[in-house]
Amino acid sequence: MNSDLIIHSAKSLFTRRTRSSLTILSILIGIMAIFTLISFGMGLSKYVTEISADMGVDKLVIQPKTMGAMPIPEKQLSQDDVDFIANVKGIKDVTGLMIQSAKIQPDEDTKPKYFFLMGFTTETEEMEIVLELMTVDLDSGRMLKKGDKLKVVLGYNYQLPNKIFEKSVRVGEKILLNDIQVEVVGFFESVGNPQDDSNIYMTYEGVEELLGEEQGYEWVMARVEPGEDPQALSEKVFDKLRKFKDQEKGKEDFFVQTFQEQIEMFTNIMQVLNAVLVLIALISVFVSGINIMNTMYTSVLERTKDIGIMKAIGAKNSDILIIFVTEAGVLGLIGGIAGVLVGYGISSLAGFAVGQAGYTFLKPAFPLVLIIGSLLFATITGAGAGLAPAIQASKQKPVDSLRYE
Amino acid sequence: MLSDYIVMALRSLARRKLRSWLTMIGIFIGIASVVSLISLGEGLSNVIESQFDIVGTDVLTITATGNNFGPPGSGVTDPLTISQLEAIERVGGVDFAVGRIIEIGTVEFNNRVEISIIASLPDGERGEHMIDLLNFEVDRGRLLNPGERNKVMVGDSFADSDRFGKPVQSGSRLYIEERQFEVVGVLKKKGSFVVDSTIIMNDGQMRELFEVDSEELDGIVAQVKKGVSISKTKEDIERLLRKERDVKLGQEDFGVETAEAALSTINSTLFAVKLFVYLIAAISLIVGGIGITNTMYTTVLERTDEIGIMKAIGAKNRTIFTLFFIESGFLGIVGGIIGIILGASLAKGLAFVGQVTLGSGLINADVSMTLVIGSLLFSFIVGTISGLLPALKASKMNPVDALRS
Repeated sequence: MNSDLIIHSAKSLFTRRTRSSLTILSILIGIMAIFTLISFGMGLSKYVTEISADMGVDKLVIQPKTMGAMPIPEKQLSQDDVDFIANVKGIKDVTGLMIQSAKIQPDEDTKPKYFFLMGFTTETEEMEIVLELMTVDLDSGRMLKKGDKLKVVLGYNYQLPNKIFEKSVRVGEKILLNDIQVEVVGFFESVGNPQDDSNIYMTYEGVEELLGEEQGYEWVMARVEPGEDPQALSEKVFDKLRKFKDQEKGKEDFFVQTFQEQIEMFTNIMQVLNAVLVLIALISVFVSGINIMNTMYTSVLERTKDIGIMKAIGAKNSDILIIFVTEAGVLGLIGGIAGVLVGYGISSLAGFAVGQAGYTFLKPAFPLVLIIGSLLFATITGAGAGLAPAIQASKQKPVDSLRYE
Repeated sequence: MLSDYIVMALRSLARRKLRSWLTMIGIFIGIASVVSLISLGEGLSNVIESQFDIVGTDVLTITATGNNFGPPGSGVTDPLTISQLEAIERVGGVDFAVGRIIEIGTVEFNNRVEISIIASLPDGERGEHMIDLLNFEVDRGRLLNPGERNKVMVGDSFADSDRFGKPVQSGSRLYIEERQFEVVGVLKKKGSFVVDSTIIMNDGQMRELFEVDSEELDGIVAQVKKGVSISKTKEDIERLLRKERDVKLGQEDFGVETAEAALSTINSTLFAVKLFVYLIAAISLIVGGIGITNTMYTTVLERTDEIGIMKAIGAKNRTIFTLFFIESGFLGIVGGIIGIILGASLAKGLAFVGQVTLGSGLINADVSMTLVIGSLLFSFIVGTISGLLPALKASKMNPVDALRS
């Protein structure tokens, strides 16, 4: 019965090839647009889930307050603050990160560039926190170690020719940092965005050698003891540090977040942007639904006589209804299949293009739920749009229908 | 003659009311979404452009190159200096130049601490020049005098009660970096977020408070003399600074920009984002266009007899073509008119809701005449292009076959 229905609707769609294919084209375009956009949104969620698994949920971040999205705050956290946090019960390890700006050039004759200079610890357990948060390992060379001063580890992009500098930088090479000669000892793997892949890393001592003593920390990261609730601990650290820094409630110049919260904030912004785009793209699916409705009304009109005959030989209203709704649904489904295929191609191409631009974290994902969801959505849109015409068809009086010319 | 065509087209559209309406709905949804998004986008652009209107086009902004995060002067390794400012003042085409420092600091008022931008007002004549250049006027109170200590003037946004819970007025006392200052005046709204949320403080006192070197400057603005070439003066300043800062041509660690150039950088980024959103919205117009094509094919098919008769009594191919072409153009343009009305009201409504709920001046709808006429033209073109193939098909029909069908 069901296969009969589908064959029948496929046949009748085939009789009006031009009209059916144009209708299918319109639903194809709509489904393609939302499929492409959602695949990027899902790719982003997947990326975030992966990195949060790597970074672990056992971390807190303590930062000085800053204006808007500026990464370098005016105030810093001091070594005293870090030591104090280390003594809060429930905190396992704490480490501070210095974030400064530095001028970098391979040699005197090359135009300098300006990037972030990160200073971090050489203590193994503390360094682990930093590395876990960065989610990347060393690509080549060696890690910074105790006693290193004028040595640097660079972000991945310095290894590529024509990316940051015309010539690629190699391990062992001497480069200029704020006009001081330093030795490159290693490179990190790619983080996946051009900004982080251009960072410069030194030991605390190295940064102080370059920029002067008494550098504070722009970022402090802490690992909580196993079994502790990071959320509760973050409130405790906030409260204790406020008292330690002798600041009144509501007048703190710093804030504490769990790493989970930070990631969620970033993801939420991206997901909202993605949702707005999907919403705009949905308009085209809506329009294609109207096209289906139009096609189906015409189809009902043209087949008035058929309907009359079917009813005369005993077809019930519900049979007629099902025939036309199925036909509209099949239109939607075919458009959906084609839309998913074309959308897959476009997403892959676009993902490749943004990857080339250095944003490898923006990769589309095609989970089964997206594919099936798109097909289902296309079919439902089609069937829904065909409902009104089908009801009209089913309610026709057989006598009138037969008489219709 | 043309009016005959139009009357015929209208009659035939009226004959199939449901189909014509559904087709037009497709178009007007598309046009409405494009019109509302473009007017919101242009509104946003206008707000951003107004940020740069505060200085004239004959003003050059000089900054040291940094990593471009944060306010001017942050992340710079080799800052501008007073002696470089003095050298710029001596350049022939420069009327006067002003150097300032910009910092981020804590501001306490009404028991709340917020982070704000604080900029300096230079002493003496340079201070007067800066007031002229930035065209500062007070809304309440009076202007800060160059050299005045323990007093500040604040941007318009401080007068909003939501910043500190109650409005800052002239006579209010603020704690900036834990030091007390008296507000002498609130500036008139400039329409720029940065200027409107800045605190202006005496230069010398600001250097003490933020421990800024007495030679250091975060930015220099130079007023070019009337009638002197701006680009020549720009080159003169660049040559001078290369010498002063001892850098080679092509390796400058500073930038000299006109306000227009700064604007164009921001505009090109914004343009790319807007274009992307508009393109996604335009997809629905394509889908609407397909709907027109479909409707027109059906119309041509239904009127095969009619076409045959017209041809038999001497209608030329061109006449038939024009007839159907005008009909589809009509579908487009009527859909367009409804779409523009809907889209413009939607944008105005959204902007109103946005301003009321968010209190942000960023959301603004600009429905320009160009946009209205452009969309009207565009909807007509979509209609006619979509009708092109069906009209061609109709015009090429063989009269004998058409009559026989």
